[in-house]
Amino acid sequence: MWKGVYTMKIKLNGRQWGWHIFLCLLVMFLLAPILYAISTSFKTLSDATNNVLSLIPEKFSVESYKSVLMRIPFIKITTNTFFIASSVTLFKIITSVLAAYSLVYFRFRGRNALYFILISTMFIPFTVTMIPNYLTIGKLGLLNSSWGVILPQLADALGIFLLRQSMRTIPRSLIEVCQLDNIGHLRIIKDIVVPLIKPSIISTGIIFFINSWNEYVWPVLILKTEEHFTLSLALQMFINAEGGTDVTVAMAISVMTMILPLALYIIFQRFIINTFTQSGIKG
Amino acid sequence: MKEKGKNKDESVNLQRTPKGDGIIRFMRKKSYFYHNCDVCKAYLFILPAMLAFAIFMFWPIIETIYLSFFKWNMVKPVKEFVGFKNYIEIIKNPVTYKVLVNTGQYILILLLINFIAPYILSFVLSSIIRKGKNLYKAVLFLPSVISLVVGSILYTWILNPVSGPAALIAGKIGITLPVWSKTEGLVIVVLSLITSWKVFGYNFIVILSGVMGVPQEIIEAARLDNVPSHRVFLDIVLPMSSATGIYVFIITIVQGLQYVFTPIKVITQGGPNNGSANLIYNSYKEGFLLFSTGTSSAFSMMTMVLFIILLVLEFKYVERGVYYEN
Repeated sequence: MWKGVYTMKIKLNGRQWGWHIFLCLLVMFLLAPILYAISTSFKTLSDATNNVLSLIPEKFSVESYKSVLMRIPFIKITTNTFFIASSVTLFKIITSVLAAYSLVYFRFRGRNALYFILISTMFIPFTVTMIPNYLTIGKLGLLNSSWGVILPQLADALGIFLLRQSMRTIPRSLIEVCQLDNIGHLRIIKDIVVPLIKPSIISTGIIFFINSWNEYVWPVLILKTEEHFTLSLALQMFINAEGGTDVTVAMAISVMTMILPLALYIIFQRFIINTFTQSGIKG
Repeated sequence: MKEKGKNKDESVNLQRTPKGDGIIRFMRKKSYFYHNCDVCKAYLFILPAMLAFAIFMFWPIIETIYLSFFKWNMVKPVKEFVGFKNYIEIIKNPVTYKVLVNTGQYILILLLINFIAPYILSFVLSSIIRKGKNLYKAVLFLPSVISLVVGSILYTWILNPVSGPAALIAGKIGITLPVWSKTEGLVIVVLSLITSWKVFGYNFIVILSGVMGVPQEIIEAARLDNVPSHRVFLDIVLPMSSATGIYVFIITIVQGLQYVFTPIKVITQGGPNNGSANLIYNSYKEGFLLFSTGTSSAFSMMTMVLFIILLVLEFKYVERGVYYEN
């Protein structure tokens, strides 16, 4: 009997090691593109074409970054992207907190139906709203402007969903007591609800920011001239399906585009993963 | 003052019986009519969000349905009513079938990589390995925060059939890579892989949380009875985490088909010979490259109906009769 237990343990360990190796390979496969991009962006062009596989640059060079700054109005484009992403985040957080509060703490006719309709919009493909939104933005005279990119992004139910989820964890009686003491709803939100669900609000905000930073589909329809571009659109100018003549420059701008989302993710990693985990659990 | 006290008691009672019995419900309903116009406030708070939804979501859906019955090019002053002609045209067009087959292929590959694989991995991580969960979660999620345009650039370079790293490694073992962006069939596989690079991590952490919700005692009990792992997975874990599972299944299709638009647009523009176009890309092409709003809207409606069917299926089969964690 002891022998049986012993061999079972060994077998289990062997299997565990097998899976660990498999997972490590998977991790390498997912991270390799990022590592290669970073290393190639610091290579000289000849180094990049001759030593494709080497991860360490022969000679550390920032030529490709200089070249990006020369070719496109990089600072303007980054400012645009930042402005769009932070405006979208700010507006969406405000509207989502208010809407989620209303959906959790008020009881009114059609509340569940309204929530259901809002959540269902997450299943509407963007192509359905694409042409009418383009026409609306055109009528508002906002084509080729940052506001034209911002406004349609505000119709998004993800924040309402995530924040409603965490607001439901606040004991209902706490809010009811405040209401009975005649504290205004806005003050309840500001002094009680927001401080209590701060982690969710922060991570929802970061998710909004990253998503909007990476947004490609809508800006590509709205923005026409280089000085209004966002980073995703500027990137696209460096894509060359046939050959990699400008590999180092393409990698440099890729690194410049992904550096901020990556930094945010690394700093707030635990928050973000928890919030995303919640998003799959329904309630 | 007296009334306040009464209400306080009531809220305490409500805490004890969350669903509330008839009398409490009745009192609550009454007190909510007493206290000024709460309903107005409720609507007021939801108004800013609703405004955005009304202008940029609900109205556009109606307008797209409307546009699908007209011939128009976005500039002409008059829209010409054509009834169902747009729909009939796309049904008659052989390209539509090719696009539908492509869409089906995208769905299958995306599900394989981003639904089935993470499900199995979650099971392995939660009941076979048990260690390093958080580390794997954090690392595997990392690509999800990167733009798909960046992903597309990185992969066009890595998979470049002549000078990319993948071609060089393959060359060492004597294999030449095909020109995937010009090879029908293969192009769909590669574009799905690029999209999966971004989607995999999110799906993985969500499914893992569902799988971890299955009580460990049940799995342990099965283990003690020498039930093989694959049976534990299929007969215990899968049914008990199906609420999360179905959610991810649908999200993979709905989001996946939209995400894959980016690499299609950036790398292949639907080519070769519509070999990589899906329903989403076709709507875009008809609308913004060929300026035929009617055809584009008809394609969009087709996609929407497909997604709505999925949603209805979820509510019909899943929301009932599914084991919920917690």
